[in-house]
Amino acid sequence: MADKDMIICRCEEVTYGELVETAEEYGCNARELKLRTRAGMGYCGGRTCRNMVDAVACTVTERDSTQVTLKYQPPVRPVHFGDLGAIGHD
Amino acid sequence: MTERILDHPVLGKLDASPKVSFLFNGKEYEGIENEPIAAALLANGVRTLRRHEESGSPRGIYCNIGHCFECRVTVDGVQGMRACLTPVKDGMVVTGGGQLDAPVRDWRKNNG
Amino acid sequence: MADLIIIGSGPAGLSAGITAAECGLSVLILDEYLKPGGRLLGQLYEEPGGKWWNGIEETRKLEERAAALGLDIRLGTAVSNIEKEDGLWHVYTDRETFTAPSLLLATGAAESPVAIPGWTLPGVMSVGAAQVMTNVHRVKPGSRGVIIGVNVLSSAIAMELNMAGIDVAAIALPKMNKVNKDGANPAGVMDSLLHVSHMAPSKFVQFGSKLMQNDFMKKLGITFYPKGGVKMWGIPVMLRKAVIEICGKEQVEGVILATVTTDGRVVPGSEQRIDADFVCIAGGLYPLAELIGLTGCPFHHIDELGGYVPLHNEQMETPVDGLYVAGNITGIEGAKVAMSQGVAAALSIARNSGRQGLDDILREAVDYVSETRRKAHIQFHPEVAEGRRKMQQYWEEYEAAQERIAPEEPAAEKEVLQGV
Repeated sequence: MADKDMIICRCEEVTYGELVETAEEYGCNARELKLRTRAGMGYCGGRTCRNMVDAVACTVTERDSTQVTLKYQPPVRPVHFGDLGAIGHD
Repeated sequence: MTERILDHPVLGKLDASPKVSFLFNGKEYEGIENEPIAAALLANGVRTLRRHEESGSPRGIYCNIGHCFECRVTVDGVQGMRACLTPVKDGMVVTGGGQLDAPVRDWRKNNG
Repeated sequence: MADLIIIGSGPAGLSAGITAAECGLSVLILDEYLKPGGRLLGQLYEEPGGKWWNGIEETRKLEERAAALGLDIRLGTAVSNIEKEDGLWHVYTDRETFTAPSLLLATGAAESPVAIPGWTLPGVMSVGAAQVMTNVHRVKPGSRGVIIGVNVLSSAIAMELNMAGIDVAAIALPKMNKVNKDGANPAGVMDSLLHVSHMAPSKFVQFGSKLMQNDFMKKLGITFYPKGGVKMWGIPVMLRKAVIEICGKEQVEGVILATVTTDGRVVPGSEQRIDADFVCIAGGLYPLAELIGLTGCPFHHIDELGGYVPLHNEQMETPVDGLYVAGNITGIEGAKVAMSQGVAAALSIARNSGRQGLDDILREAVDYVSETRRKAHIQFHPEVAEGRRKMQQYWEEYEAAQERIAPEEPAAEKEVLQGV
């Protein structure tokens, strides 16, 4: 398997090649890289790949050391639709 | 091939906990009550827990502590349960998800 | 309603819960895992002097103390969101919503991977996954494994696998690419390992300590590092070999190793295949800050602490009212440091909740965190104390800035922050 076909984001199956090419083409930071490729947008919420997406972005942009590069958003665990809005249920 | 570590030089002998039987993808397996489903399956030599929804590539446990969701399976009808931290019970029915249809992608591949 | 909710029942969360209960607070601990103990559970190593640090035993001790104090520990309860409203924290879980005026986040760390072609195959797992499978669930991750990534954690776990009768064929570097940089550089890895004195007595450190003196010797050391590795507990530690691919069709069948130059480039033609039925990925740990990331708490990226860390002081307070942190969320360190941080956090919480006469014991608890750090056998980053100093400096700068903005009403500033 060529390195460019190596998966970085396991959930969305985004490859190393896609991330590196996108970063180089658009000079993007981690957030833009995520939005353009879907890396880190899958089932796990980017817990597994976030540092690797960050690392690719850091090859073309400066790290913002006072702001988490890939913002955390609720819910941080998947929630079943049936459970949404059911506050105080068992 | 994997197996249980029955005796350990520091941790000692494995506790004799009750055995349970459960189904995974229609096949019956034996586990130790309340161990994670993933541990019970691995002890039976089962590594593949699901297939990636889009590509169908096989997946098993990765982080084993609930962070990566790679081991998600359907347990007694509830989807998205993490096999690494769901205790196995007698009579449990577990199924691993398979590749899903992607008609738009397939159409694009042939007509795009 | 509890006085305090703690998220995470690892060493930090359990210790904090015990101390808080001893101070008279009612405590609720939430954890998504099926056992309490967190990453402490899997730990098993021999301390200098021959005593074993057995994470299961240490967890049992904490559990017994927690049970004697009547702590409410809810396992299998995953938190999906936290919000603050009218001075109360609302903690949303997959079971119910809990509320308390104080919240301690002790969510620990997550593993950071290195990427290798084939790493999604069943049989490839994080090194922590193999540790938990082996020591906690007592199931062998496989019969013959290869560990990718040479660091403190992977060396310790390699020894644990070995002790459980699992064959570890090699510990090698990952192939160099844009995401595996630090961990793929032989000279850099060697340098960081040489700071890990606790690994002595091993042949590796015996080999390495001779090279500690200066950079020239280090360079020489990595140049002449044996290609077949230096054996540690009978396992070859390969600093001049990298795994360039994990092979297998439906699951792991082996890996391809190649010789690398001292700066990590693959030497063409040096590839060799070795058989394995499991592979461990060891890219290190980073603070798991997803929940605190929802609160508006400021962050700083500090390499020595393992990544982005929420702003906090030595009393484990954050700038967000009623929000505290302890354990690996504040930086990657061993379980003993996490436990001492948990105690300090609980004392802060009790004091800030109006319990009297805790100032001296809190000061002692804070000192004890530093002392524990100094005595630690396992140092995940050799410069961790420097990382802690940076964090304290950021805290002081933050406080000074707050005073400049509102010298009369520092409390009002805190309120604003929560709305961010």
